[in-house]
Amino acid sequence: MAAGAAAGDAVTAVTEQGLADELEWVERARQADTSAFESLYRLHVDKIYGLCLRMTGNASEAEDCTQDAFIQAWRKLAKFRGDSAFSSWLHRIAVNAVLVRMRKSRREQDRIQAVTDISPAAKTVGDSGNLEDLQKAVDELPAGARRVFVLHAVYGYSHDETSSMLGIAVGTSKAQLHRAKRLLAQQLKQNGYES
Amino acid sequence: MNENQSFDDKLMEAARALETEVAPEHDLWPNIENAIARPSRTRWNTVFAQAAAVLLLVGASSGLTYLAMNEKTPVGTLITDNTGLNYERASFGGHYTLGPGYQDARSGLRAQLEEELERLSPEARAEVEKNLNAIRAAINEINRALADEPDNVLLQELLLSTYREELSVMMKVDRVVNAAMLRTDI
Repeated sequence: MAAGAAAGDAVTAVTEQGLADELEWVERARQADTSAFESLYRLHVDKIYGLCLRMTGNASEAEDCTQDAFIQAWRKLAKFRGDSAFSSWLHRIAVNAVLVRMRKSRREQDRIQAVTDISPAAKTVGDSGNLEDLQKAVDELPAGARRVFVLHAVYGYSHDETSSMLGIAVGTSKAQLHRAKRLLAQQLKQNGYES
Repeated sequence: MNENQSFDDKLMEAARALETEVAPEHDLWPNIENAIARPSRTRWNTVFAQAAAVLLLVGASSGLTYLAMNEKTPVGTLITDNTGLNYERASFGGHYTLGPGYQDARSGLRAQLEEELERLSPEARAEVEKNLNAIRAAINEINRALADEPDNVLLQELLLSTYREELSVMMKVDRVVNAAMLRTDI
C-alpha cells in the first residue's frame, strides 16, 4: 500500500513536471524559440500523427496533415491563451488541418466512391488481435462517418465537441456515428464477425 | 467479453482500445523547422508596402506643411486647378469634426481589428501594428499642431487624409484576413 502510494506520488510528480516543462516550452516557443517548439513537437507528434492517421486512413496524408498542424500551431501560438490544455488546442488544429487537406485531396473522393468495395476482415470484434482489422474497416468508412467515429468513438470526444471541431451540427454528428456503426457492423458481420 | 453485450457496445469498446498514439515512419521535424524558419511571404507584404507609402505621404505632407507655414500661407487661398477653374480651398474653420459615418466605420473596424490581427502570424501582426501605430502617432502629432493652430487648413487636410489612410489600412486588413479565412479556415 505504502509502495503503491509512493509510486502514485512519483507518477504525479512526473506528470506535474511534464506539464511544467510543456508550459515553459510553450512560453519560449511564443518568443520564437524553435528548439522549445521542437520539444513540443517531440512530446505531441505521436498523438497528432495518430489522430491524423485515424482521420485520413492514409499514412502519407497523415504525415502531411501532421506537418501542417504543427506549422499552423507555430503561427497561431500567440492565440493560445492556456484556457484549455495545449494538447486539446493542438488536436483542434490537427482536425482542422485534416479537413483542409482532405478537401483538396482527390484521393478522398476516390475513397468515398470505393466505400462499397470493402475488403474482408477477420473473425471477431474486441479481441486485441483483431483491432487491426477494425482499424482497417474504420479507414475504409466514408469520410464523414469516419471522422465522427474516430473523434467520438476512438478519442472519446462528446458529440458537442465533435460537431464543433468538424463544423457540423450535433444532429449530423449523431447521424454520422450511427451510419459508421451500421457500416462497420455490416462489413464485420459479412466477414464472419459474430454479435 | 460479455455474451449479452450488443455488437454495438463491443464495437465501441474495441474502438476505444485502438491505439491513439502512432509514431510516424519519418521524422517530420526537419520539414516543419524549414517551414517555420522561412519568413512567410504573403500578400501582407502588399499591405506593409501600402502602409509604408502612407508613412511616406504623411512625412512628405508634414514637410509641405512646414514649408507652407513658414511662408505664412493664408487660410482660404485661391487655388487654380488644371482645368483653369479657381476655387477656394475648403476650411473647417477651426471646428474640426469627423462625420458619424466615418466614426462608426472606424469604431467597427477597430473592434474587428484585434480579432483579425490574432489570426496572423506573430511577425505579420507585429508589422501591421507597427505601421498602424506609426499612422496613429502621426495623427496625434497633427492634432497637437492643430491645437496650436486650429485654423490651419493644410494641417486639417493632412489630418483628414491620415485618418482616411488609417481607415483604408484597417479595411485592407479586414478584407485580406477574411479572404484568407475563406480559403483555409473551417
